[in-house]
Order: sequence, then C-alpha cells, then structure tokens
Amino acid sequence: MKRFRLIAVLVALTFAAAACGSSDTADGDAGETGGAATDGSFVYAFPFAITDLDPASAFSSENVVLQNVYESLTTFNPPGSAELLSPSLAESWTSNDDATEWTFTLREGVTFHDGTPLNAEAVRASLQRTIDLDLGAAFILLPIESMDVVDDLTITFTLGYPAPLDIVMSSNYGASIMSIDGSTQDAAWFNEGNDAGTGPYTISAFSPNEGTKLSRYDDYWGGWADGQFSEIDIQLVEDPVLAEQMIRAGDADATNNLPFDSYAALAEEESLSVVKGESMQNLFGLLNHERLSPEVREALVLSFPYDEVAENLYGGEATRAQGIIPQAVWGSSTDLDLPETDLDAAAKLLADAGTTDLSVTYSFDAGTTEQQQIGEVWKANLATIGIDLVLEPLTFDARWELAQADPANAQDIFTLFWFPTFVTPYDFMFSLFRSEEAPFFNLGYYSNPAFDDLIDEADALSGTDREAAIELFQQAGQTLIDDNSAVFMLDVPNVNVVQSNVEGYTPNPAYAGVIRFHELSRNE
Amino acid sequence: MRYLLRRAGTSLVVILGVVTITFVVSRVVPSDPASLYAGPRARPAQVEQVRQDLKLDDPVLTQYVSYLGDLTRGDLGISFATRRPILGDLRSFLPATLELALLATALSMAIGIPLGVLASSRRGKPKDSVVRLFAVTSVSVPVFWSALILQLFFASKLGWLPLSGRTSSNVEFGEPTGFFVIDSILSGSPSNVWDVVRHLALPVTVMAAYPTGLTVRLIRGSMLEVLGEPYIEAARVGQIPERTILYQLALKNALAPALTILGLTFAYSVSSAFLVEAVFNWPGLGKYLTDAIVRVDFPVITAATLVITVIYVVVNLALDLVHAKIDPRVELS
Repeated sequence: MKRFRLIAVLVALTFAAAACGSSDTADGDAGETGGAATDGSFVYAFPFAITDLDPASAFSSENVVLQNVYESLTTFNPPGSAELLSPSLAESWTSNDDATEWTFTLREGVTFHDGTPLNAEAVRASLQRTIDLDLGAAFILLPIESMDVVDDLTITFTLGYPAPLDIVMSSNYGASIMSIDGSTQDAAWFNEGNDAGTGPYTISAFSPNEGTKLSRYDDYWGGWADGQFSEIDIQLVEDPVLAEQMIRAGDADATNNLPFDSYAALAEEESLSVVKGESMQNLFGLLNHERLSPEVREALVLSFPYDEVAENLYGGEATRAQGIIPQAVWGSSTDLDLPETDLDAAAKLLADAGTTDLSVTYSFDAGTTEQQQIGEVWKANLATIGIDLVLEPLTFDARWELAQADPANAQDIFTLFWFPTFVTPYDFMFSLFRSEEAPFFNLGYYSNPAFDDLIDEADALSGTDREAAIELFQQAGQTLIDDNSAVFMLDVPNVNVVQSNVEGYTPNPAYAGVIRFHELSRNE
Repeated sequence: MRYLLRRAGTSLVVILGVVTITFVVSRVVPSDPASLYAGPRARPAQVEQVRQDLKLDDPVLTQYVSYLGDLTRGDLGISFATRRPILGDLRSFLPATLELALLATALSMAIGIPLGVLASSRRGKPKDSVVRLFAVTSVSVPVFWSALILQLFFASKLGWLPLSGRTSSNVEFGEPTGFFVIDSILSGSPSNVWDVVRHLALPVTVMAAYPTGLTVRLIRGSMLEVLGEPYIEAARVGQIPERTILYQLALKNALAPALTILGLTFAYSVSSAFLVEAVFNWPGLGKYLTDAIVRVDFPVITAATLVITVIYVVVNLALDLVHAKIDPRVELS
C-alpha cells in the first residue's frame, strides 16, 4: 500500500508541478515552444511536410527551407517593384539580340557554407547536376545547350532556342546554386540534413515528419544586423486548429494556410498581423474536350457562379480569375473579354443543340472544403438548365492517374490549382493547354495548333522583347476564353499570419509560402 | 525454455502472416508508388525511370522474396514519400510513442489500481459511486475532445503548459535513446528534464484517461470477486488489518486477470496513439503511420504494421510470463 501511495503522490506532484511551473507565461505572450521573444529565434508553424532537401529535385513545399539556404543567380521581385528582377548571386547579366546567349557576372566575395568561394565553375556544376538528374523542375533548364566558364566570375550560357534565362534563373525550384562539393553528392547526402548553399542560413536539424531547424551562416555575403534571427524553427504543424492556437498563444511567430474564414478574427488581434500577398496561384476547371461538345462547354462556362463564388468562398479574399494568368503574374490583363453568368443563354444553347438530361462529372481534391462548395453552388445552377453535376472527390494522385489514363472515359471537369515554377505566363499556358501526345497536365485535352504557335512565339520573345511577348500572351489568353477551354474560377492569395512585433515581412507570391527570414527582425 | 521457444516459433508465424498480408494488400490497392517517389509534377519519363530503379515492374513474387530478404537483414526499405530509410525514421518515432504509452500506462495503473481497490472496499457507498462515475467518464470521453479541451484550458488560456511538441524550440540535447525523459536526464540539465516533463503532461494525461477508467473497473470487479472468497473471510475472522487484506491478500489475486487486459491496452495505446499525436503535434509512430496512409506510402505502412505486430506479440508473451510469475496456478505449457 505504501508503494502505491508513494507512486500516486509522486505522479500527482509531478503533474501539479508541471502545471504550475510557468505561471509567468500565463498571459500567453511568450510561448513555451516558441520562446522567440528574446533569444533570436523564430518559429514558423508550417502546414506541409518537407520531404526532399536536394535542391536539384525538390519541387514542393521544400522551397520554404531551400530558399533560405540556397540562392540562385537572380531573384524575382514582388509585384509593384520597379524592376522584374533583382541581382542575387549574379550582379549583372546580358543577352544577345535573340536571347540565345546569356552571360552572367557573379557577385564577388560570396562563400558557400563549406567556406569555398562562389565561382563560375560552381554555377556550371550545380546546374549540370540538376540537368543530369532530370528530376523535379529540371525542365526549366531544357533550353540550355552549353555552359562556358569564361573566367572565375563570368559564365556564358548558349541556348538551343530563345528563352528568358534571367527569369528562369529566379525560379522557385531548380535554379539553386551549390558548392562544387555539393554538386558531387547524392540525394541521400542532402536528405541527411547536409547543405551546400550560399544563403543566410544553414540546415542544423531535419526530420520530414517534425520539421527543419536553420542556423544563421555568419559569413553570409548580405551581412547581419542586430535584431535579425539567428535560429529558425520550421515546425511541421498539419492541424490548422493547432497552428491557430500556436499563433494566438505566441508559440509561433508565423503560420500560413489557416482556414480562410479564420483570418478576419485573427486580424482583430493586436498582437497579430494578417498579411495577404498578391496572387500567383489560381483555381480553374479544365473542360474535357474529348467528351464535351462545344455547346455544352459554353453552357458550363455561362452557368458558373463567378461573383457568388468570389464573394463567399476563401473568406472573400480570393478574386475572380481574369483568364488563366493570375493578376500578379506579368502578362496578365484585366481587359480580356470574360464570360458572365447567364443561365438563360446557357439553357438556350443546350436547347438549340438538342441536349437534355446531361450528367457531368466534377473531379476535385477530397477534403478541400472550397472546391466542394464551389461544386455544390455550381451544381445548383446547372440543375436549373437540366445538367446534373456529379461531384467526384478523390485524392489528387488518384484523380490525376484516372485523368491521364483514358480521356474519353475520364472526368468532364478537372479542378486544379496552379502556381508557376518560375514566373512567366508560358508556365500556365504550356503546362495546361499546349497540345500533348499523352496527357500530362493538359487534362482538358485541349489542342489548338494556332494557340501552340502563339505561346511558343511569345516565350521566345520573353527574353528580349517583353512588351511584344505580353501582347501575344494576352492574345493567347483570349483564345483560351473564346474556345471555352476551361472555367477560370479564382485567383487565390497566399495569406500569412505573423506576430506584430516581427518587422520586415514582405510577401512575394513568386515564392509562395516562403518567408525570407534574413529580412526579418523583432521589434521588442 | 521449451515454452519460450515454442512461443517464439508461433510468434514468427504470426509476424510472417501479417507481413505477407500487408505486402499483398499494398500491391493490390490501386496506387502508383513510382509517381509518389518521383514527386509532384513528375513527367512520365521520370516516373518510368523511377519504376525501373525501384524494380516495381518485377513480378510480385520476386518483389516479395526480395522484401523478405531485406527484412532478415534488418532493412525495412525506404519511404517512397521522403526517400529516407524507414529504420532511421522509426528510431526517432517509435521511442516517442512508446514513451507516451508507457507513461500513460504507468499513470493509469498508479491512479486506477488504488481507486479500484477503494471502490471495491466501499461497494455501494458514495465513494464507490464517485469512483465508478470517474471510471465511466474516463472511458467514455473521446481522446481528441479531451485533448483539445485540456490544450485550450492549460495551454492557450492559462499558459501553464506547452501546446505541442516534445520539447521547446530552444531546448536541445543528445538523443541516444530517443526516450526524452531518459535523454534529458542524461544531458545533466534539470531545465531540460523539466521542459520534457511539461511537454509530456498533457498528452500523457489524455492518453491515460481510457486505461485509467478501464483499470478502475477491472480491478473493482476482480476485487469484488476475490473479496467474496473464503480465505478472505477467514482473514477477516483472524482480525488481520483491512488494509493488509485488501492490498496484500486480495489485490495479488485480483491483479492477475486484470493484467492481461491492461497489457493489451498498452499495445492498443501504441497503435491508436495517432489521435493524441495529431492534436499535440507529437512526432510519434501514429503520426508517421497516418501520414504514410494519406500519402499511400506502402513501405512505411508495411514497416509500421510490422512494428505494431511485434509489440503486440512481445507484450502478449511478457504478459503470459508475468501472469505465471504472480499466479502459481498458471503453468507455462
């Protein structure tokens, strides 16, 4: 009995003591796990698992880490900036008249985390490794035919066809520069938590199921000022309820991807800032050209509740899409001739075509509330004109596999979110609408040779005559609308919640989800 | 010894059966591991290359034999989603869950056994009713709900305990065992130990709720049966103190039947920890397994199932041995 009593007393004491131990944080302003108030550390409650730290192959949420550890030759500026690009590891660059030869002059005095200096050979070796591995976003380097090291700080690229290599080199993925030693390593080496970048932070701990810790690189070429964060803890917090509690309690300094309807209440909190960036990601429904007649596609486009969806979903933060190019991407336009919701016109189209009692399938990501709600609102509209919209929720992988297998028996409408690998209208148009022999992401199976020629020409001009390229991209955008190739639904912004005492955060939609920790400091 | 060898043999058959079933299921369920491995937006040529590299085009029997060969060498394979060796991941995630489950089981016994004895000794009295109400509540309340409520109250509102995780962001120490209570003690820093204990408090309490209620009910029922035995009556006539009767004479015999259920409850805690782990962002086996299920990451699903099977088998065997030790009527044959 004494033993039991002793155990019970010990357990009770332990829990009581644990519970009472830190009443000094009862006001919740200095969190337990965050502890970021005074010690120079920053906690980012991040919702997506980081699974691949090899910059040559990473092509998902890893950019939140890699963009702070590695740098590329150029950086894409936030919308509204005077210039499209800023120098990063390259101080300057030039191209020939037809954008087939590009010369980059590298920044002097930059070192990799292993202490070796940045030079042209390291740039060549890094990009060659990415090209050779041919994984992830390696396709962005396809135009490169050869790389010549001119001198220690100069490298020349010869391209097989004209391309805007300056923009390519600002890519969110696939353009990272690593040390020569890093270029000889395999994926396992990177995924053990090693890194070979020049960025302001090095990776100090990594677990795909827990998160990543970064420590400042003292010799960073950009230098360090008082108040900047030395330690970064990117914690994997998949549960949005927990992430919201953490940011409210001060246990996290920033988070994103919370439910959109929570932002209004969070914005009321004095200790928090809700920062909405401009949008480079959009949501649309690709219409199956193998299964749907032109009349039915037009009826679908005319029946979509554009304004209702924009006003009521995503907490009212999203805006109606102006075609396939999101508004923050260069080349977008607000002057395109867009369809409006018109159920009478849609009904007439179907009647004239003799189409009755039609059933149309709507494939969307299971578990995404907004896509489901869009489907339900649209279904109600379609019911009034005799079309039954059948909602088909599946995991993305499953529905992608089905969509690629057999277009004639696939879904009628494939909803998809898209964001660019590097910022160009061509990314959207090429990936989603250019003719494909076997379906990959052109899951509406759209094929229009005139459109293909138009966007290829626009892409070729992107490096040399951007104004001319924009004009062609806008023509191509109008073609997609006129052909009823898809229902262009919403531009959806990336929203971050940050503690108000953190200064320096500027969202850059070209690198969605990324926080450049080196730009931040805490205002005590 | 012969008994142990025989049990080891049957255990191996059970494990092999589970491995075979999970392997077959993983190959029957429609999914494309090569696409998962190749990553998002991978082009068909990349996916095909991965398929060849991972030998996913080999006949299923060849893959199965190769998998069994790897298992005998202690190689659990690599995760298709993270491309990391699964064994390395398990070294981190398994201790996290075992630590939770062990402490929760210990806590449930420390609270449940005395309360069960108390209730049985006050049968029909107010104390019995209060304990029974407590037991029913502990068993009935869903863990995800109690987890959220405790989290909201003790972490968000009062700020007394941390919301989530195993340690604070700024606390670091070596992890030779993966059991943070032990590792923090080994680090020699009281503040590390304190930090670990504070992080354990809420998830352990939540996880202990169900087994505590179960322990109370089992011990109470078992004790009531034993307390009606003639030898207890004889002890009472002999004026042996009530406390000695309850805790030395009766409890020893009452404990044996309850022990089997409690042991299985521990194994169940390990396999069902995912709800607690999800709410408290606890990087344990449950979270590892559910993430793998969501991603259809079959090597991880198979390996985690194997580990859970082994835990069940080992716990069962240990329970039989303990049972025989404390109850002379049980023979290992």
